[in-house]
Amino acid sequence: MKSIVGLFLVLAILVIIPAADYVFAAGAEPGEYLDRRVVIWNLFYRLMAVAFVVGTVVSGTMIWQCWRFRESHPKAKPTPYEKEGVW
Amino acid sequence: MVLELQKPRPIWQIMFSTHHTDVGLLYLITSMSFLFMGGALALAIRAELFLPGAQIIGDAMTFNRIFTVHGTTLIFLFIIPFASAVGNYFVPIMVRYKDMAYPKLNAIAFWMIPPAGALIWLGFADFTWYATPPYSIISAPGPAADMWIFGLKILGISSVLGAINFVVTILKCKHPDMSIGQVPLLAWSFLSSSLIILVAIPTFAAALLMLLTDRLGVTGFFNPAMGGDPIAYAHLFWFTFHPEVYVLVIPAIGMMYEIIPRFSRRPIFSYNSGVFAFVLLSIVGFSSWAHHMYATGMSFTEKTVFMVGTLAAVPASAMHVFNFIATMWNGRIRFATPMMWAVGGIALFFSAGAGGVANAAMPLDFTTHDTYWVVGHFHLFVMGTIAFGSIGYFYYMFPYVTGRMYNETMGKVHFVMSFIGTILVFFTQHVLGLYGMPRRIFDYPPIPEWIAMNQIVTVGAMIIGVSMAIFLGNMIYSSAKGKPVDAHDPFELGGKYYYPFEQKNPHH
Repeated sequence: MKSIVGLFLVLAILVIIPAADYVFAAGAEPGEYLDRRVVIWNLFYRLMAVAFVVGTVVSGTMIWQCWRFRESHPKAKPTPYEKEGVW
Repeated sequence: MVLELQKPRPIWQIMFSTHHTDVGLLYLITSMSFLFMGGALALAIRAELFLPGAQIIGDAMTFNRIFTVHGTTLIFLFIIPFASAVGNYFVPIMVRYKDMAYPKLNAIAFWMIPPAGALIWLGFADFTWYATPPYSIISAPGPAADMWIFGLKILGISSVLGAINFVVTILKCKHPDMSIGQVPLLAWSFLSSSLIILVAIPTFAAALLMLLTDRLGVTGFFNPAMGGDPIAYAHLFWFTFHPEVYVLVIPAIGMMYEIIPRFSRRPIFSYNSGVFAFVLLSIVGFSSWAHHMYATGMSFTEKTVFMVGTLAAVPASAMHVFNFIATMWNGRIRFATPMMWAVGGIALFFSAGAGGVANAAMPLDFTTHDTYWVVGHFHLFVMGTIAFGSIGYFYYMFPYVTGRMYNETMGKVHFVMSFIGTILVFFTQHVLGLYGMPRRIFDYPPIPEWIAMNQIVTVGAMIIGVSMAIFLGNMIYSSAKGKPVDAHDPFELGGKYYYPFEQKNPHH
């Protein structure tokens, strides 16, 4: 349990620190509308690239495991818990 | 009319019962009725937006009324009552108690919903589900607006009563042999969401009263002409309704925690991380409300705090997703209809969350604010995650309630069509928002990209509409003519589990 919580804390920090960096793209100075727009869309594409990569890995894993661990798969075998009858 | 085929009884005995399964059944039928009513309004909205110009709805005011009642119905009269249905049916069984802690209060909480629904539907207010001030104070026509306010007030009281009942049932009435660490995750989800309700709802209750007295001209809290501030209402509203997002989504995730281990034939990978993630979501839900209001002139520091607060929900949500994936790993998965809905719901939950991360980044929020991106984002949560989890659980509990099995093929057709329709509608709406189409508009300029994408969205909505008609037919037919099942194991999965029909407590 501790290792899982630790893992997710690390992941959280990895998400939050770059996000705090994005905040400063908004800026506070007037007269830079066009530049800021470019920066914002740049951030958008970067963030979307990250989202698509992570999404592809997670979705791909889900699709693969749905295919591999379905009960009709030739290599499917009863789980240890089925033998005990409790899960 | 017979509702529970295991023990046929006239409907009035169920209506006036305080037994938790009867009240759960009433919640179930009411919420599903409102699902179809709210869904019909969604189809009307999409038909109107198929092309620029007025199509089937005569004027903008009627359009505003339709989307106001659509949103109000599906959030307050479908999702929340459906969760209550599941909680009423299963939580006492899971904590091994004879009933809810306060059975009469439970029945009262349910019976507040039909009059509240009647007020909302007979009034047909036009000021959005957010009751946008100052319009809602100065110009929104009565009595529709006042009926909506009273309807929401009643629903708020109903939610608080239900939440008290769940908290007391789980914490104080669980079996003495059962520690809190053994309570199933579905019950944990109800405990978490009930605690959020108890903290969040009173703020909106106060805001509604202030809105009403503003409408009566007695006060001017949110009326700029009397020195009030509509942004204050936004803060009060979102202080309640951003946590409310978690009130909606946490029970749906709890339902997935029931379905996924059962159909994977493996116990949940990490019970403790599931509990931890529920508790974490309940807390961080209160640290992000102002991300709805970046564009209202908040200071840079405030915006930064709420952006980081919003992103804090990411690890908790990810813990659930990875918990589900790890549970399915090495399982022997039966893809019956409930499992398909649950897995589809996880996939869409992840997509919705990714969009939310982009949306929470403050500079990007300014680009997407009040566009169809926002509509796509929250609908992907509400439909793609919450409704998918709920409908999956509806299929799961159907044989326990009726003693009969639904038509499996029709259930799978329902899922496939809904999944495709959901992607067509809500992914496209994200792109439509990036193309600049504002939300809540009755008409739009004939920009070719906007027209094409609106047509894709409308086709997707119609696919969902057809799938829901199949669902309705399947449920009605199967509840009367479906194949009788062995209630010990209706899905033929094997294993020992708690079976609602076997509970020892008689109806009272």
